[in-house]
Formats: sequence, structure tokens, C-alpha cells
Amino acid sequence: MQPDHLTIDEVRRMAAAIGLNRLSEEHMQQLLHAANVAHARRTILPVASLTPADEPAHVYRHRPGDER
Amino acid sequence: MSELFFLGVADAAELIRAKKLSPVEYAKALLERIERHDSKLNAFLRFMPEIALADARRAETEIIQGGWRGIFHGIPYGLKDIIDYAGLPTTAHSKILRDNVASSDAVVAQKLRAAGGVFMGKLSTHEFAIGGPSFDLPWPPARNPWNRDHFTGGSSSGSGAATAAGFLPAALGTDTGGSVRNPASLCGIVGLKPTYGLVSRRGVLPLAYSLDHIGPMTRTVRDNALLLDLIAGYDLLDPGSANRATGGYTAQLGRGVKGLRIGVIRHFYTRDMQADAEMTAAVEAAVTLLAELGAEVREIETAPLGDYAAVNRTILTSEAFAIHERWMRERPQDYGALARERLMAGAFVRAADYVNATRLRRKMSDAFHALFADIDVAITTSSMDPACRIDDPVACETTYARQSRSPFNVTGSPALSMPVGLTKTGLPLAMQIVARPFDEATIYRVAEAYEQASDWKSRHPVLG
Repeated sequence: MQPDHLTIDEVRRMAAAIGLNRLSEEHMQQLLHAANVAHARRTILPVASLTPADEPAHVYRHRPGDER
Repeated sequence: MSELFFLGVADAAELIRAKKLSPVEYAKALLERIERHDSKLNAFLRFMPEIALADARRAETEIIQGGWRGIFHGIPYGLKDIIDYAGLPTTAHSKILRDNVASSDAVVAQKLRAAGGVFMGKLSTHEFAIGGPSFDLPWPPARNPWNRDHFTGGSSSGSGAATAAGFLPAALGTDTGGSVRNPASLCGIVGLKPTYGLVSRRGVLPLAYSLDHIGPMTRTVRDNALLLDLIAGYDLLDPGSANRATGGYTAQLGRGVKGLRIGVIRHFYTRDMQADAEMTAAVEAAVTLLAELGAEVREIETAPLGDYAAVNRTILTSEAFAIHERWMRERPQDYGALARERLMAGAFVRAADYVNATRLRRKMSDAFHALFADIDVAITTSSMDPACRIDDPVACETTYARQSRSPFNVTGSPALSMPVGLTKTGLPLAMQIVARPFDEATIYRVAEAYEQASDWKSRHPVLG
């Protein structure tokens, strides 16, 4: 589980864990910013509207008779 | 010669077929214009006059001998540089792929080649279709022909700039979160993101598999429909391709909008975001004009823009990072700063968040498509703001996100951006028209009715 805001040390550990070992300090600051933006985005996903039966599908659904 | 610069596909094809226009003379006129002006616009990443002249000469010979192949025979075009053209590098505007020579054509490039089109070159993009405008890449960013101090929009930046500048009448772009429609909006041309699966993506560098689309970019609605007619079609080897009949996208042109039902998604640009006043006024004026032409206009509501954007970006960054993870481990320094940061946003997205975003996509798509029981098309803004200055990174970042295009990447719906005016300072304004899946023909019908009733298609940038 990610905390609300990641710190640079946490990001450094997480980056190493997935093999991002060649990032410079500047890259690491970018990753920190990117990770916090992604986290903020997660918090606004309207997941409360989902029920267990809501499963993924492709982008659109065809009506009966469509030949796909 | 100058009358050739803004000749459209349909008009040029008619002249070429009637042997009143030489494909070679046409190509030479545009090549000369590109040579004169593109050093200031950077629309081309790889300008290919030798190939263009060879294609044009071949077309001319065939046509003289009675072998006219169709609308695109002898018509100049360009490809965003994430689309493969055999024998040339597909660089994605990135140092990482600088030497990535394509061994074969993308399906869409093959179709243009087979149609006898005249290939002018590869067009600038944002790095990997996500990072731009950037000044730290091997090639400079494209600039807006209406004012070259301003942003083109992206990521199909060169396609937008080249088409608007009169360098070519048609180009292809790609659209994962709005990347055909953004430069179409900011450069004052027509750009369509087709229904997901309508156009093969094989041979095109992916950004996010389940959101990627290839789309036509032209100066007129008819030209756009003609290009879609050419590139649409089932491809067994594209796992996202839709197996259904295509074509007929010009069939409804000229029928007007009398009796058509238009739903205006006003909350996108008045409540979820506050669009620029000139943009709002131009879109509202376009809707009023369509009502005067006989359309039945009502306001409709869908999910908030922020919900769509969160779903789009969660899916996009997750899928994109899966593609870029190896390069991000091995060559992070070879990305430009913007692409690196935007792509790294997918590094730590939780699996549950990605799955939930795809669950939400289905639910939101179903709800959005249900609205079309009562309407034929929806209209809303495309960009919330006119083009900002390209040298203002904060404004570029801010305005990049102020858009209402990504909802239709989430729903997979066809969506078209077209010009609806100019700001007081002479920058393009645009609206977006959306329809139910695979109903591109109705979008073109509405767009052409508006185009015919307004005079924006006759306005072009003056290149200094």
C-alpha cells in the first residue's frame, strides 16, 4: 500500500525494487513527482460506483447481430 | 503556383484525374513551399523530396497511360513518425529509436502507397507520442503555423502543422488521449479519432494498446472522410481490429442537419472546467448555427471530465510503462525530460487500480453510449484554451490537461475536431463532434453542414 505522498527515499527503494537502477538524481526527482501525480489520480478514480459484478470489457460493446 | 498550397484532396484528385493537374507539378510546388518555410515550423522530422518526386512521376506516368488508381493517386501526404514506412527510421522523435529502420510499411502506410499517394516525409511528434513540446530531443518541436511562437498541440504536432501550413493536404496522426484532435484544434484543421478498432494499428509504435487510434488530419471534412475511407478496414493481425464492413464515410455529406438530434455536453467546459471565453463563445455560436440549419439541440450530461481523465491516464500510463520499462531501466538518460516523467507515472500504478480503471471504462462507455438513444451526435469543446506560447512550459503543461478529448478514448467513440473560429489574436478555435461507435458518417454529415455554412475552411495561416 502506498502512503498518501511518497518521499524521495521511498521512491528510491521502490525504483530499485523494479530494476530502475540507472536513474540520476534528477530522474529520481521526476519519478517522485510522477509517482505522486499517479497517486493523486488514483484517489479520484470513482471506484465507489463499482460493484463486484462490474467486470472489465473492451472499449465498446456490440449490439446483437454485429459480426465481430 | 500558390493556389496549389491549399488545394484539398477532393479538388486535387478531380484535377489530376482530368489530367488538368500534373502530380509532379503539384508535388514540386509543395516541396518548394516546405523547403522555404519548414526551417521555421519544424513540421517535418524527415523530409523526403526524392521519394516524393519519384512517387509523383510514377503517378503521372500511370495516369497518362489511363491507370488512375483512385482519389489518392498523385496526392501528397505525410506520416507521423511513429508510423512505419519501409526503409526509413521510425524514430518516435526520440534518441532511443534514432536508428530504428522499418522493414515494412504499417498497414495504413501500405494503403496510401497502394493508392498511389505521394509520400512527402515523416512528421514531428511528441517523443513516443507523449513527451512534448520538448527542446531536449534530437529534433526540435513543431511550431504553430498561425503563430510560430505558439504550441501546435500534440502529440501529432507535425501532422497538424504541415497540414495547416499548406505543406500537404492530408496527414496521419495517432490519438491515445487526444493526440489527433489536439493539434487539429490548435492548428485549425479537421482531425478525426475513429472508433476504436476501425483502423489497423499494425506497424504503428504503440503508446497504450487499448486506447490507441490512427486518425486522418486534413483541412476539409470531405477530405477527412475520403482518407478514412482509404485507411479503415479489418486487420486480422491487429488484435484490436473490428471485423465489420467499412467505407461509405462520404455517403451522408450534403444531406444537412435538418431533424438531426444534437446533444451538447456543456458541463465539460462550463462546470467541470471553465473554458476560455473565446473558445466557449465559438463553440456556442457553432451550436446555434447548427440549430438554425434545422438540428434539434438539447443539453446532455455524462460523467465528469475528471472521472474520464483519471480512467484514461491510469490505463494509459500503465500500458505505456509496460512498453517502456526495459528502456527505462537501461537508457533512462536517452529520453527527454517530459517523456521520461510522463512515462514513469506508470511505474508504481497498482494492479488493482489498473483493473478498476478498466472496469470503470466499461461502465462509463455503456452509460455514454446509452445517451445515443436520444441523440445522433454530441458536441462539446476539444481544447479549453487556444494555443499557448511554446516557450512557456508551465502554460503548455497546464493547457495540455485542459481538454475534453480523453473521454472518447475511454469510450472508444469516434470524435472529430474542427475549426469554429479564430481568437482576436488570430489563433484557431475548435469544437468536437462525437457519435456512437462506427457512425463516423453522421459526424461527417454534421461537420460538413457546419463547414459549408461557415467560412473557416477558407482561412489559412500566412507564413512569414
